[in-house]
Amino acid sequence: MDLTLSGVGTRLGGRWVVDGVDATPPPGRLTGLLGPNGAGKTTLLRLVAGLLTPERGAVLVGAGASAAPVAAMGRRERARRIALLEQESSSSVPLTVREVVALGRIPYRSLWGTDPDDEAVDRALHAADAAHLAGRAWSSLSGGERQRVHVARALAQEPELLLLDEPTNHLDVSAQLALLAFVRDLGTTTVAALHDLNLAAAFCEHVVVLSGGRLAAAGHPREVLRPALLREVYGVDADVLEHPRTGRPVIAFHEPAPRTAPAPVPAGEA
Amino acid sequence: MTTTTATVPRTTPPLAPSTAAPARTHLALLVAVGLAALVGTVLVTVTIGPADLGVGEVARSIVAHVGLDVAPVAPLHDAIVWELRLPRVLTAAAVGAGLALAGAVMQSLTRNPLADPYLLGLSSGASLGAVAVLVVGVAVLLPVAAFVGAMAALVATLALARSGGMLTPGRTVLAGLAVSQLCAAGTSFVIFWTATGDSYREILSWLLGSLAGATWSSVAIAGGAVLVVGTLVVLAGVRLDAFAFGDTAAAALGVGVDRTRWTLMTLVALLTGAMVAVSGAIGFVGLVLPHAVGSLTGPAHRRLLPVAALAGAVFLVWADTLARTLFDPRELPVGIVTALIGVPVFAVLLRRGRGSAWT
Repeated sequence: MDLTLSGVGTRLGGRWVVDGVDATPPPGRLTGLLGPNGAGKTTLLRLVAGLLTPERGAVLVGAGASAAPVAAMGRRERARRIALLEQESSSSVPLTVREVVALGRIPYRSLWGTDPDDEAVDRALHAADAAHLAGRAWSSLSGGERQRVHVARALAQEPELLLLDEPTNHLDVSAQLALLAFVRDLGTTTVAALHDLNLAAAFCEHVVVLSGGRLAAAGHPREVLRPALLREVYGVDADVLEHPRTGRPVIAFHEPAPRTAPAPVPAGEA
Repeated sequence: MTTTTATVPRTTPPLAPSTAAPARTHLALLVAVGLAALVGTVLVTVTIGPADLGVGEVARSIVAHVGLDVAPVAPLHDAIVWELRLPRVLTAAAVGAGLALAGAVMQSLTRNPLADPYLLGLSSGASLGAVAVLVVGVAVLLPVAAFVGAMAALVATLALARSGGMLTPGRTVLAGLAVSQLCAAGTSFVIFWTATGDSYREILSWLLGSLAGATWSSVAIAGGAVLVVGTLVVLAGVRLDAFAFGDTAAAALGVGVDRTRWTLMTLVALLTGAMVAVSGAIGFVGLVLPHAVGSLTGPAHRRLLPVAALAGAVFLVWADTLARTLFDPRELPVGIVTALIGVPVFAVLLRRGRGSAWT
């Protein structure tokens, strides 16, 4: 799905948390949403999901003349086209995995709560490689399994646009790689907020870097993730190398230099 | 010879009990069993009590009143069935169904396993509203006044619980306790001030609940509310599933979070108001039944709500039958029986909730 952010901005508690962001994530590809804590990544994802209405600008979905602002879409239609996975997502309800995935069918349910497509949940479970978990209790799953089931729930919405808020949090390395490879290869337009710059560099076709709610840079990771930008946005000193196998950027960080270093006072003079 | 048992098909793979989810019984089966149990309960409980009645007589009396031609029942027995016991049993069924529905919805709405119209003060608020109108003497408005009282109590409880920020189960129950005590004191005061005869009995029946005064108009009020409001609650309650992972997740699934919440709160207050108007504040039905039924139906509201309503109906009919026969000819307020069953359940839930962020 074509997605265009045009001058999107909104305030939370009087402060412009997202301020005039323009972006065009490539359709059918994985876009990384980067930036330090508090840069506005989560708020921007909620704006794109239509859960918040931008005070300025617009989030447009669809191509050319058929492009329509997300904020003007009906709730159910929006939920059939856009799926959002939150960062922290837990439940005290004693659900089975199948029931969790079936939540993704809510936008398609009839008045009486029945799903017109009986096989959608199974398809989503299979697609996310979570079919073997279907009968398990949600509370018994590991972090990696839970994230897999959340992805299955999002797929059950049959979305054209998938939004993920730090999906690799709390996952071990192999689960992180598996998850990002999976969403990259889905062929669905996906925007994922990511903290790990090396994961973004390895898997994303496009990255959007936020800093203080504003757009700092956007483009292919190779063009965007340069030492100057990392210093400006994250305040870190880094070298950008080339991955020996994939040719993608690999970022090697340096220890932070002592800032206003007053000369240490020798112990004897105190 | 090889073992022949190897050919027995194994339907489910072995799973460790801690990870295996409970199997979900088919909804149509549960509803059918629930309905059968309810009809059987009504026919049997009407026979219980002084005067020797049989199930056949009860059935014949009912069928005759519906207008079909059957062998007549002795007039005295017919009067006992049709004028005394049947209205009471049917009122109990309707009130039980309504309170169980209200409890199930409130538990999901406040994400609080201890939520119940009684514990959160709705029932006492409804009692106060009803009693206040009785004093003025406009009995037609009784259910309306009870609804206004329930809604006001609900808003007060939630406002009090939220004043510190997060709406935790512990805070909500404490806030409900405060509101409920205030309303109970108000109810007692109004009756004490105005009642001419046995005011203590009347106070008790409003605060602990009683079905002793049930008539066909009670059946109409409570039954009508369960059928109309209850259906709306089940329809709107289906959307409660979406709240399992919180408000943002519900919104992302296309559910109008605030609209759903206020719609359901209003419906629950209406339901509680109608129930309290005919029976006073009967506690713990809304707490116990959703938990008991949840293990059979699972948490999906499309399944949970109708089955909880049926189970609540059966439960309260039996509780009321115990209340009126246990110390015959004395009668217990039915709220004592439901509390005897409900408080242990409350205690178990409280222990189970320890360690999580409850307070």
